Amino acid sequence: MSKQKTARGAIEALMAGYEKLGYVSDDQIATALFLAQKLEKPLLVEGPPGVGKTELAKATAEYLGLNMIRLQCYEGLDEGKALYEWQYGKQLLYTQVLKEKLGDVMQGAETLDESMTRLGGFEDVFFSEQFLQTRPLLEALRADNGIVLLIDEIDKSDDEFEAFLLEILSDYQISIPELGTVKAKKPPLVFLTSNNTREIGDALKRRCLHLYIPFPDAARENTILQARVPELDDGLRANVVNFVQAVRDLDLKKPPAVSETIDWARTVVLLNMNVLEADFVKNTLNVLLKFKSDIENVESELPRLIRESQSPEAAAE
Amino acid sequence: MIADFVRILRAADIRVSPAETLDAAEIFDTIGFDDRNILKHALGQTLAKTEMEKLAFNEAFESYFCLPEEAPPPMAASQEEGETDDKSAEQNSGEGQPQEGAQEGNPDSGEEGGTPSDSANHSLTEMLENNDTAALQAAMQQAATEAGLANAKLFTQQGMFSRRIMEAMGLAELEARIRQMNEGGETEEADKLREGRARLFDAVQDFVERQIAMRTKNAGRLLREDALSRIRLSNLDKSDMKIMRELIRKLAKRLASRHSRRRKKAQRGMLDIRRTMRANVAYDGKLFNLAWRRVKVERPKLIVLCDVSGSVAAVSRFFLMFLYSLDEVMPKTRSFVFSNRAGEITDMLQEGDLEEAMENALRQYGGGSTDYGMSMMDLAEATLDSVDKKTTLMVLGDARSNYGDPGHLVLKEFYERAGRVIFLNPEPETVWDTGDSEMKKLGAYCTHKQTCNSVKHVERVLDDLLRLSS
Repeated sequence: MSKQKTARGAIEALMAGYEKLGYVSDDQIATALFLAQKLEKPLLVEGPPGVGKTELAKATAEYLGLNMIRLQCYEGLDEGKALYEWQYGKQLLYTQVLKEKLGDVMQGAETLDESMTRLGGFEDVFFSEQFLQTRPLLEALRADNGIVLLIDEIDKSDDEFEAFLLEILSDYQISIPELGTVKAKKPPLVFLTSNNTREIGDALKRRCLHLYIPFPDAARENTILQARVPELDDGLRANVVNFVQAVRDLDLKKPPAVSETIDWARTVVLLNMNVLEADFVKNTLNVLLKFKSDIENVESELPRLIRESQSPEAAAE
Repeated sequence: MIADFVRILRAADIRVSPAETLDAAEIFDTIGFDDRNILKHALGQTLAKTEMEKLAFNEAFESYFCLPEEAPPPMAASQEEGETDDKSAEQNSGEGQPQEGAQEGNPDSGEEGGTPSDSANHSLTEMLENNDTAALQAAMQQAATEAGLANAKLFTQQGMFSRRIMEAMGLAELEARIRQMNEGGETEEADKLREGRARLFDAVQDFVERQIAMRTKNAGRLLREDALSRIRLSNLDKSDMKIMRELIRKLAKRLASRHSRRRKKAQRGMLDIRRTMRANVAYDGKLFNLAWRRVKVERPKLIVLCDVSGSVAAVSRFFLMFLYSLDEVMPKTRSFVFSNRAGEITDMLQEGDLEEAMENALRQYGGGSTDYGMSMMDLAEATLDSVDKKTTLMVLGDARSNYGDPGHLVLKEFYERAGRVIFLNPEPETVWDTGDSEMKKLGAYCTHKQTCNSVKHVERVLDDLLRLSS
């Protein structure tokens, strides 16, 4: 019983802690974070762009007081850029130096076998830590006190890279042929984010907890704005939230995300508006919407949207 | 219990792997039953991994882990509550002796079965007295597992299972307690317990009913999907259309994932001399790496001509659905429909959603009497110039031309130019060439001709098409 009570308590503590850092979570998100830490499993976060997926990882790093390593995925990303690389140039230089010393080394070697053994001694040096250029994933595994690893927009990477991640995600270890297996000193807390431009493979999904963050509802968006744009006064904030929520209901190419709401709220503060006026809204719609057709779409509905945002009760009726 | 829940999820079309089941069990351990909301989120995050699955998961969770309804507050509880509590505490301590005797008398199955969670510590009586719904729920789930509810398949088994569950939860003990109270003159307490028992019985019955319904519902749907994929399309009921569409969508997705890449097929044994020379320039012309000839397997360019006239009205909707999914798998498809004249609907399929496109196409071109001759001419005019060896022409229709010109001469031209001509006929082969069917004439200029009237057929045809296209 007590164990279960602590689960509830821990989740609430998480929520409070994140809120202090300016990240407003909800039950769902906090539960996911709690589980990710408890079960030491990677967390796959999906949702439309701009709902704070990346922000979540950042806030976690701050909350836990850990460093964060971010790996931005893109098409063509391979292990050379994500994991490790041999420093080719350095190795070459080293070879040159060795060449000059070669005579000294070989001196006294009677047979071919003997010289081979002597040379063999150098081979290990070439493929040692000294020439290893670590990349984000390897760095994350080597971090001493744990670390937050953010693999951003995994859906942009190729299938091959996804498969390559599997070993890291399930066992927190990675095999480097020349060096052997590197195991994480302390399992990093891994966040993967995806905008769902393509379906993530089942194997990857199976290894992760899956969190879907939708657009926030009015209450949560209100709290987010309160945390992020405290200068905005209560009444106007409610108007802004209502307006954005109504805009999301329209049939748009790209509905405004939370980050855009925040930007817009900042605009409102910056321009010292006391009330949402049609003209003002019309001129600043480009903060909220990023497609011309969307803007035209909203403009045609503007009077209704503004009226409703000021008295949501009337709209509900 | 987790295993059982997972089975239900699987039946609801959520893919759950054994590893995920283990995770879920671990979550149960850390979070437990108390906080249903958190449990739901937590399990949802481990078990359901797409939006669709999340929806299905929520539904399944709500009906599987549904709490017995909160009991109405006992009458006059407000002033008596403290008192009652004291009383029951007193009873427990004071009447410890006889109660223990009663328990020894009938080795209680509820206690014996022993739930791993906290409910093991409470007897059924206490749970009812304290109105501890969470514990009751846990005990009920546990008892259901013991009673083998997972195997229940028929509604007629409902009574039996409810009884078994009640027994497993410690009904015997409860009744002994009530009797004992009655004898001890505490009729009020006994009544309260009896009331609780009735409530519990209702809850259990409700629970069993829901469980059985859930299982049979899902099993039914799977059965139905399977049957639908075999059924003759003209026999399809309108209400099945929705499931059918889902099925076709799945089919298209499966095919797309199998064939989304352009493949190269090596022809071992045939040396590609030009590439070999080029590859070995670096080795001073010594033939180090050999390059073999290979054939690129291109995705086919497809032209589809689909009959939507009155004679095939029953299947034309299906044909259109098929066209629509084709369009998703092979973007280079050009689609035509005809009854007496042919018209292109490629754009229509690409823009609108299926429903809309289907309606439009049928309204614009459908319903008339068939004229293969004219339609073939129209098609030739629109496309013949672009037909080359990589093109596949697919004709969907019954080849019944109302004794008019079947257009086989035009088809011949296509046949000579195109890589392949495929004729898919919804009628079974036995009735080809009967009446006004011109299958013989048209079939002469086809590389393949086949009966196609169920989803299974469609899948086979499409798969062949994608694999063989070279």
